[in-house]
Amino acid sequence: MALLNRYDTPAFLPDFNAIPGQLDAWHRAVSAWFDQVIANDQSAFGASPLQYYNAPNFDPGGMAVEQAITWNAFPKEMLRRYGRDRALVLADRLWPTERYGSPSPDPDDTAGTAGVLYRPQEEYCEWHVLRQPDSNKICRVTFSSEPPEYWQAMFGLVPGDPDQHFPGDQDALLRLYRDLVSPDVQLDDLIAAEDVVDTAGQVWALKGQYNSYNKWNTTLGIAHLNSPPNSLVAEIQLGADATVRYTDPRGRLLVEPDALIGYAGYGGSNRNSDPTIGASVNALARLGAYVTLRNPVGLYMDHIDLSGWEAPDKRPIADCVHIVRGVPQMVERMSIEVPASRGFDVGDLTIAGIPIRFGGQIAECITVKLVGIANILPKPISRPPVGNGSRPIVDPFYPRTVGGVSASQPVPPGFAEAYLNQGTVESAVFPEAAAARAKLAAAPGADRGKLSRHGKRRY
Amino acid sequence: MSETQATTSMQAETPEPVLPMSDIQGIAVPGFLKPHQTLVGVSTPNDPGAVVAFKEFLRGLAGEISTAAETLADRRRFRVAKAAAGPKPPAAKALLGIGFTFQGLQKLTPGAVSLPSEAFRQGLAARSAFLGDPADPADEGNPKNWKVGAPGRDIDVLFIVAGDTRAAVDERAAALAGRIEKAGLQVVYNENGDVREDLPGHEQFGFDDGVSQPGIRGRASDDPNDFVTTRHIAVSAQPERSLFGYPGQDLVWPGVLVLGHPATSPDPLIPGLPSPAVPEWSRNGSYLVFRRLRQDVGLFWRTMRQEAARLAALPGFEDITDVVLASRIVGRWPSGAPVNRVPLADDPDLGAQPLANNHFRFDSDASAIPLQSGYVDKFPQSKADPAGVTCPWAAHIRKVNTRDSGSDTGGRDSSYARRLMRVGVAFGKPLADRYAEPEDDPGHGERGLLFLGIQASIDDQFEFLTARWMGDPSRPKMPGGHDLLVGQNDAPGEGRQRRCVIFGAGVQQASVATDAPWIIPTGGGYFFVPSIAALRDVLGR
Repeated sequence: MALLNRYDTPAFLPDFNAIPGQLDAWHRAVSAWFDQVIANDQSAFGASPLQYYNAPNFDPGGMAVEQAITWNAFPKEMLRRYGRDRALVLADRLWPTERYGSPSPDPDDTAGTAGVLYRPQEEYCEWHVLRQPDSNKICRVTFSSEPPEYWQAMFGLVPGDPDQHFPGDQDALLRLYRDLVSPDVQLDDLIAAEDVVDTAGQVWALKGQYNSYNKWNTTLGIAHLNSPPNSLVAEIQLGADATVRYTDPRGRLLVEPDALIGYAGYGGSNRNSDPTIGASVNALARLGAYVTLRNPVGLYMDHIDLSGWEAPDKRPIADCVHIVRGVPQMVERMSIEVPASRGFDVGDLTIAGIPIRFGGQIAECITVKLVGIANILPKPISRPPVGNGSRPIVDPFYPRTVGGVSASQPVPPGFAEAYLNQGTVESAVFPEAAAARAKLAAAPGADRGKLSRHGKRRY
Repeated sequence: MSETQATTSMQAETPEPVLPMSDIQGIAVPGFLKPHQTLVGVSTPNDPGAVVAFKEFLRGLAGEISTAAETLADRRRFRVAKAAAGPKPPAAKALLGIGFTFQGLQKLTPGAVSLPSEAFRQGLAARSAFLGDPADPADEGNPKNWKVGAPGRDIDVLFIVAGDTRAAVDERAAALAGRIEKAGLQVVYNENGDVREDLPGHEQFGFDDGVSQPGIRGRASDDPNDFVTTRHIAVSAQPERSLFGYPGQDLVWPGVLVLGHPATSPDPLIPGLPSPAVPEWSRNGSYLVFRRLRQDVGLFWRTMRQEAARLAALPGFEDITDVVLASRIVGRWPSGAPVNRVPLADDPDLGAQPLANNHFRFDSDASAIPLQSGYVDKFPQSKADPAGVTCPWAAHIRKVNTRDSGSDTGGRDSSYARRLMRVGVAFGKPLADRYAEPEDDPGHGERGLLFLGIQASIDDQFEFLTARWMGDPSRPKMPGGHDLLVGQNDAPGEGRQRRCVIFGAGVQQASVATDAPWIIPTGGGYFFVPSIAALRDVLGR
């Protein structure tokens, strides 16, 4: 008997309840995403069963243990790249999509050309800052961890390969936008009048479909996540990839977070989230456990740490924190706003004595999480490891961030291989792993994309 | 040499910088790790004449502050003497360190405002709420009630006198006191800290302290083997040789502790960008956090006894005792033996063996590392414990050093960048009956820790560890809870209750919760520890 009857909506959000067939369609879509990443990874990494399962379809047995994995909401890559002072400024801004994956080393160079903008907040939690027009003081910061797929489903289509179709209810979508973002939202604002394409040729929304990059989810407000790596599908994919055991180029079993993600290539090395999600899942898989994501599969704000927060009237600040959607420990939308009766703004609050001038100061206090389940088996699974698909690189003379090239590529001039000989278990050597990986990579049809929107890899 | 050759060579050799040992204070590098200390807090009037006298005093003192070179030489002499047979030589002269609060620095140089640390500029008392300290003005732990560093009673300068014997420290402290008096400065705080006579090296709850200190990646001279932190791993064992001093002792780039030197990069073997030395005279300086923590030993152990008795009624916890519970909360047994290596009972031999007592992993099975001395670590090796079943994620040692695990701030560099060097010592007489009620305590509860921590950034190291990891129930990782040993909880509506998760023999989860305040902050301050040159040529001029 399966462990789960049906995948529920993130945080059991109720918007689909009144749409006939929508809840079933959501379950089928989430289940299909699991099935697809499992099939893809089994194909990519060899035929042995993946230690990742789709709970409605498979019961691995054993003792199920929940493992919450938490990370900080402020984008670490920006901290690494620009330092905290500049990162706080930049993280509040929208960035052009052309910059995604290759941000400029110049912290002032964030200009876009095609007007497709996204929030560069790549830790599965994004925010929008509203300021007083006269003083520029912050009056509200709204945070969201809602995946774009949920909103696309409400429209009726989650694009992908294959597309996932839903009954949808565009009026309900419009109502939700009006409730959460602005009463001025029009349905046409949410639909792409033409293909939304940036100057790099990347398609971000198809004509006639829901446009996650609409003005009410970028310049004028926030409805849900829209940073390219922030999606439910990416979460499911990362979980699957991280159950695979990897070796470094010498065949030593990789075990530590940085070396693992750098050589496996399963996420963003410079983030808070991906290295720790990957390493946490991988550690459970190395124990021989089966792993999945707990229902409802989602990305959540766990809590906000209010230590050191102070209001000018010295009264408690709990009434300035509003969980708008979700519940404590499973928060999907939260706003920070001072009740009008108190007579001051968010910008007048202080954290450790410093006035709040950027949304990122609040993000630093927010913990984001997902919850995994590990099934500890009486007879642990020992899946053979695979070699490295990637090679982490670092500029040794300006070592702020870690980059990567394919395992088959040489280290570019001016760079050094990062984590060389590190993050492995000395006693666990699998010299055959790299050769097996290379053979799989050379096999026909090996160029399998990950689940994606419009063909774009989602890490 | 081509660029490619240079980078290849860098990877292979992990070169380490030669540190300016005659300019860095010894309290910062290699750190005073002395069993006896006296802390002297001094204040000076803010009038021009007094400031001139203050500067003259500092100028005269600059040559007497213990340098890194002197402190390292002292440590090496001590180790040789300890290892040698026969009568011990007389105790060396006590070491002397000096640090300034922001207020004190401002009296000496207008450039003080340029130091980029917001925490330092505000001071410990102002940041107390952020650290989770009691907000109730009536609470003993509220800054208003502190014995040192209370608002309005700030100190300008903290002297740290540290030595191998109480007599040596007293002698140097007395000489210092005479000079302070002569300079017209006022001593506003004076306290002795001494290692426990009954359990040397153990803090007042009874646990071996300071087992896990970071080592410094750097050399004391041009000699390629003149490492500031002694290396114990066999040369052939790479990368471990480049990663650790003692097995498990992380080597951090000097910029983690000293300003103006390479700090952590994403790859621990590649030097990161230098920690900022702004203004320039702050180069070779450090920050010192002093925190006077009173420990209510009776309350701690009575709570452990009571909670252990409650837990023992639960399936999977039948064998739990107060010592077992307390050891889970610390992450080490009283001897210092890590619970990950010996989950069922303390092993004093392991606790006493520095070549083994800090060698363990959290996420993977560990194995012995070849050592230079040929010593073979035959104690049980730690087993993978990613979920904190053996060593809970809320355990103190796991909260402040995530080792090979990921954390809420990513990979291993997050933990490297947070490390600090602890150079403090216990104060007060130990409590003979650890369960004693207050009325049966001859010391009236006056015992604890004079916590002294060296770092390059108070904001990113001490404060981050305290507020973001020890005081947060879900960071750095779950299933966790608060650091019950040292952490505080000031979340609204939670009544300062701290709670954590521990596991039973059958992986049953149980929660431990308490609002008992057995760690009470009773004073301290944030200090800048200048280089010798800055003391002589900037602050003393």
